Amino acid sequence: MSGAQMVWSRMTPGGRALAVLLPLLSVGGAALTALLVVAAPFIGATIGANLPIVRFLAASVITFLITVPVAFLLIYMEMKIIALMNLRIGPDRIGPAGAVMSVVHGLKVLMKEDFTPPSVDVPVFTLAPVVVYLASFMTIMVIPFAPDLTSVGLEFGLLYFFAIGGLGVVGLMMAGWSSFNKYSLLGGIRAAAQAISYEIPLTLSVVGIIILTGTLSLPKIVEAQSGSLLDWFVFRQPLAAIIFFIAITAEANRTPFDNTEADQEIVAGFATEYSGMRFGFFFFAEYVNVFIVSALFAAVFLGGSNAPISLPFSPEIVVDLSGLGLLLPIAAGVAPVLGTLAIGLPIYAISARIKAWQAFLAGFLIFGALSTAAIGFWAWAMLPPVADLIWFLLKTFTLIFIFVWMRATLPRARIDQLMGFAWKWLLPASLLNLFVTAAAVLLTA
Amino acid sequence: MTTPLTKPSLDDPRIAIPAASEWYEPAPTAQTERQAEFLNLRDGEMFVNMGPQHPSTHGVLRIIVKVNGEQVVDLDPVLGYLHRGVEKLCENADYHQAICYTDPLEYVASLFCEAAPTAAFEKLMDVEAPRRAQYIRVLTMELNRIASHTLFQGWMALDLGGITPILWSFIERDEIVDMLAALTGQKLLYNYYRIGGVNGDLNHEFMSRLGNWMSRAAAQIDSNLGLMNENEIFVRRTRGLGRLDAATALRMGVTGPNLRATGVPFDLRRDHPYLVYPELEFNVPTRDEGDSLARYMVRIDEIRESIRIIDQVLHEMPDGPVMAKLPRLIRPRPGRAFGAVEGPRGAYGVYAISDGTDQPFRMRIHDPSFVHLQLVGPLTRGNLIADTMAVMASLDPVMGGVDK
Repeated sequence: MSGAQMVWSRMTPGGRALAVLLPLLSVGGAALTALLVVAAPFIGATIGANLPIVRFLAASVITFLITVPVAFLLIYMEMKIIALMNLRIGPDRIGPAGAVMSVVHGLKVLMKEDFTPPSVDVPVFTLAPVVVYLASFMTIMVIPFAPDLTSVGLEFGLLYFFAIGGLGVVGLMMAGWSSFNKYSLLGGIRAAAQAISYEIPLTLSVVGIIILTGTLSLPKIVEAQSGSLLDWFVFRQPLAAIIFFIAITAEANRTPFDNTEADQEIVAGFATEYSGMRFGFFFFAEYVNVFIVSALFAAVFLGGSNAPISLPFSPEIVVDLSGLGLLLPIAAGVAPVLGTLAIGLPIYAISARIKAWQAFLAGFLIFGALSTAAIGFWAWAMLPPVADLIWFLLKTFTLIFIFVWMRATLPRARIDQLMGFAWKWLLPASLLNLFVTAAAVLLTA
Repeated sequence: MTTPLTKPSLDDPRIAIPAASEWYEPAPTAQTERQAEFLNLRDGEMFVNMGPQHPSTHGVLRIIVKVNGEQVVDLDPVLGYLHRGVEKLCENADYHQAICYTDPLEYVASLFCEAAPTAAFEKLMDVEAPRRAQYIRVLTMELNRIASHTLFQGWMALDLGGITPILWSFIERDEIVDMLAALTGQKLLYNYYRIGGVNGDLNHEFMSRLGNWMSRAAAQIDSNLGLMNENEIFVRRTRGLGRLDAATALRMGVTGPNLRATGVPFDLRRDHPYLVYPELEFNVPTRDEGDSLARYMVRIDEIRESIRIIDQVLHEMPDGPVMAKLPRLIRPRPGRAFGAVEGPRGAYGVYAISDGTDQPFRMRIHDPSFVHLQLVGPLTRGNLIADTMAVMASLDPVMGGVDK
């Protein structure tokens, strides 16, 4: 047996994989780098010529990718906040205060068996989660996170939102019908009935705002609220805001309108027969939907990325680092070490009971927090999109907290009360709101 | 033509069976009543089989619901998944063991399941428990009633979709269960009552826990109720739902809070007094509506009355022995006796026949949950699927007692 064979036979499977992959990767990487260098002008020209397409692709990929951490964050928020309201502890094992719990849930769902029951309608059954997830991911693309921070700045963004948002129900109906399960069927039909009923007040309630702003574009609606706090549409159109909030609760299938998956009545509704990652897609889509409807409410009624208060001073922190030249990378490399030492040494000196590694770990963490805070403050003061994004996310997550709070507090409304409420109260109220707004606009014009 | 391996099912909506083909099989004649129902389904109706594993049926109950869309056309509870033959077991056990066997019937309020056979056997033996033992029995039974009713309140909210009240009400129940565990040594199946007394006097840990709890019980329970009683959705879903009138209730043999919710002030503690209840002051709360909300409210009022009773018992409890002088082997004279107590779900009774040996010749157990479960069908007919759960929860059956 030769030496190479002996080494190979003693390697673990992971080692063997590395031994094969590393040379391949290095060769491939070198080749790719060479190709890039050679083809750089051509690539640059192509990107320059097709900038809208490239921008769209990049925006789509980013939008698709941010749904995952958003869903994880929301699932964790829901688990922890409801636990605290129930006087439980909630997740506390994995990560600080259990914060990684939802990621582990996601991995678990990914590793479970993907089971297809024998009597289902296989193509429809397979496509249903895709349709549901696609619908919620496509609606994120028009959310105006900040001025010029929209994936696709459509002129008819609001209309697009309602149209694509209604598509998710098709997926739920597909799941309900194809599962060959009576609970699923009831869940799917409930979803369809609920969505059809609540789409109408949802759409009609914002018509007043469309009349006032004269546009369907979400960035422009946000811009129209950019004056003082009283310019927000929640103060100018309070009735519409209430109707809209109730309707989006029903649209996102949240308590008290979560009849589609009422576990005490129809087990898990449309998702009864799903398992593994297909169920995971439904689950993710549900939480992404909560984020989307909260973001839409924040954009349309709560001023979007506009700050509720403007600071009395405007911090001008101009940092000009160009004069440092080569010192800049050196400083960037040395600063963490120096900072860690500067904070860690006094901690180490305070008490003999603090071990060296504890002191320097604490110093490193404190330095990291301080520098992050400093950079964050600088970015907040000097880069307008950062401040706008922070305000937008703050409003969105406040609304998400309200949704979670409602889930912890309220029982479920019955399906006929739900429908009656939509048709008998919300629809007339939204029409009234529309007529009053239109009359006011006509009279003042 | 060769016959296909699997015949297409007639109830599979996705397989169209051409009428003239050889595949077609004429409708089979029904072999059972259930099959006849299935074959005679009208257009648009379907059977939904809920349970025995379903998130909301209390224990292992199976309900077969015939629905037309969302509307319940008919409803049929199927029992027996928890049947253990307790009555037969009791016939092969001596009198003390028989009490153990009845213990897990109504597992959320098992002291009442002990109290009824104990009462029956004491009548057979013609003994009476000492006064202190009687007071202890009243005290522990009322505590157990509160534990059961707070749990009911949580389950009711859970069946309507609210998730917080169940965890809040478990705080009270846990406290009571812990204090009873300090007294009896068990958390769920206490096995505390004996023929002619109770097993052991009150101890220090029980009394200190009880004192702690009593100082805040009323306020705590009231604050827990705010989440449901002032909730518009909860009230709208239960008011006017599953309305039961007094005549029907009496005809069906309904007892307990479900009967008192229809306006009939029947309470064994007052109308057929046992133990020291005649000496205690308490009201029998009633409501006139007879709907789910009334059944819920009656139970809430009973919690307050129970706290009142516990308060009086603690003030008036005499000193003395807790066990009557009895032979080690219980061998009553031949005869029959009926003992009944007012449990949290209704009149819980045991009819015992003695043939002079040390084992009961026959023990018949009357459980209120069994009676109340037959109301689920009539009360939900014509309502929606979601209402089935609201009615079921408000009737508060415990399957351990139903299936025996």
